[in-house]
Amino acid sequence: MKYFENSVRDENLIARKRQRAKEQVSAYALLTPFIIIFILFSLVPFIMGFVYVFLRYDPYDVGATQFYGLKNFEMLFNSDITMSKSFWESFGPVTVYALCTFPIGTIVAFVLAYFVNMCPPGYKFFRACIYLPSLVSISIAGIVFCNIFGPSGSGLLNSWFGTDIDWLGGLPFKDDFLRWVVILIVCVWMGVGGNFVIYSGVLRDIPKSLYEACEMDGGGRLRKILHVTLPGMKSTLSLTMFGTVVGMLGLYGQPYVLNTIENKDVFVGPMMWIQNYLMGGLTYAKLTGYICAAALVLGIISAALGLIQRIAMADRVHGDKYGVAYARFAQLKSQSEKYKGGASQ
Amino acid sequence: MRSVNTKKRLTKSQITARREKIVSFIVLAIAAFLFVFPLIYMLGTSFKSELDLQTHPEKIFPTPGQWTLKHYTGFFITASGELDNMPKWMFNSIWSTAATVGLTLLTDLIVAYVVVFLRWKGKKVFMKLLFAWMAAPTVIGTAPGLMIFQTVKNALGANTSAGTYMLVYFWLVVPGITGVFNVILMNNFFRTIPVDIIESAKSDGASHFKIFTKIVCPLAKSTMMVIVLFTFAASWNNLQGPQLLMAGEGQAIQTITVALAESYGGSSAWGAQGVSMATAVFSLIPVLIIFIFTQNKMIEGLASTGVKG
Repeated sequence: MKYFENSVRDENLIARKRQRAKEQVSAYALLTPFIIIFILFSLVPFIMGFVYVFLRYDPYDVGATQFYGLKNFEMLFNSDITMSKSFWESFGPVTVYALCTFPIGTIVAFVLAYFVNMCPPGYKFFRACIYLPSLVSISIAGIVFCNIFGPSGSGLLNSWFGTDIDWLGGLPFKDDFLRWVVILIVCVWMGVGGNFVIYSGVLRDIPKSLYEACEMDGGGRLRKILHVTLPGMKSTLSLTMFGTVVGMLGLYGQPYVLNTIENKDVFVGPMMWIQNYLMGGLTYAKLTGYICAAALVLGIISAALGLIQRIAMADRVHGDKYGVAYARFAQLKSQSEKYKGGASQ
Repeated sequence: MRSVNTKKRLTKSQITARREKIVSFIVLAIAAFLFVFPLIYMLGTSFKSELDLQTHPEKIFPTPGQWTLKHYTGFFITASGELDNMPKWMFNSIWSTAATVGLTLLTDLIVAYVVVFLRWKGKKVFMKLLFAWMAAPTVIGTAPGLMIFQTVKNALGANTSAGTYMLVYFWLVVPGITGVFNVILMNNFFRTIPVDIIESAKSDGASHFKIFTKIVCPLAKSTMMVIVLFTFAASWNNLQGPQLLMAGEGQAIQTITVALAESYGGSSAWGAQGVSMATAVFSLIPVLIIFIFTQNKMIEGLASTGVKG
């Protein structure tokens, strides 16, 4: 009897083990394509980014590869070289710009989310309208806004008011204020939708009882916003803030499409600099290591900003599942907007 | 006396609620109009005749009697009777985006299923790596990725236009399908499915394939919608990646987004207002269609996916 029981148990055990082994094998088999593609197209380029910076590498002449040591960095930090100088200068406009975009974009998104949460008739339609520009490509935005802010002969605003304002001309830190306004408008137009939807989701999840408690204490509308709504959104707000600032370092599309002949090739961001020299083809091919060094500097700066965010947020996010989840989302948003490049993803 | 009081309080809060609704309706209506206005202007301008474009730049829509479809019919066939660039751009964009979306969805579903519902060694390490990758600044990999692409291209000797085309689009579609965020999004959703459902299906003798197709996938519909719309928009609107791969390759190879930015963006738009607007309208149509079909579910999903994690 005892022997019989044992053998049944053994058989069960063996069957279960076999099942496990089978599951294990099929799991690895199913993951293989994902892992291979990920390693080949994402991980290897990323690691090579740390290798190329020490090389003189030319994709059109692979045989001539040399070890360069820190020469690429020496070149990059030498501001006598025009290319290096323009790289460091390109950080200026974006920084100023990031500091302007964040408050405006956040306030607009928050106000709209606040009103949508009151659920007026047709709010779903309005919500869709406000979200729609987030899906419009930067190319379309460029064409439309270049026409709206165009010169007096064809521009919508100039012909409405009978003015002759050169909206899109201007060079960085000289007379480019109006161009930045236009870029800011386009960024807000395209960028508010995502934050707006996230905020409205967070607003919806703030317990009603908190508002009621605040009302009991005699709190008015402003007090409710200050003491209930904003504290409830604190983590989301700071996450989107860092997302915006880090995102701005990768600003590329807006200045690329919103320009005039004079400032067509002015770099207003490090990303634009990198993209431009990478597209240079043969001319800049032998500078690959140097461009990689610039990309590495940019990558380290944005990673450092992300780290600061994480440290600053650590105690507040701790145990806050929503915060962590939105952190991931905010990160996606900022990443997908700039780095979605097929070569890098 | 007491009942009167409660009644009064109720009506008061009702009044506040009504006032809130009116104010928010007005604010949102204005905001929605401002947000959609540039697109309306784009649509209106695309129907303007050449004369109208020059004499009435201040009008959103063409003057009555001046409506024309000329900008829309002009770009299909060239003067010499060949296929023009515009249909090629649209074709390139449509098939590459469809392939990216389909493959991304399939990969995400499979990987998330394997991670959540199968037992295997190394799962924790795998997930940790995925999360770590989210924080990695991918800009570092951009240049090396392009260098690898160029080295492969030179090595294959893909100098014919067909070879270049295939390589460029392979490089455009395939790397994009391993987007880590989507996997994590799907993974977060799968974790909310009660394990009991899966276990009982298993004890009824259902295979993993059956559980995947009959139980898990139907449940994941709204997350799938979010991923479809995101991936579609990101792939369709992708400018930087394709621009790098297509640099110096001629116009026929471009996607519509790249072509619009390079041919009609900013300073290059001179004298082509009508055509550029019409092309822009064309390029917006697919995104619009997807958005109309997915918007409600997708916005709800977007607002709540984070919460689900």
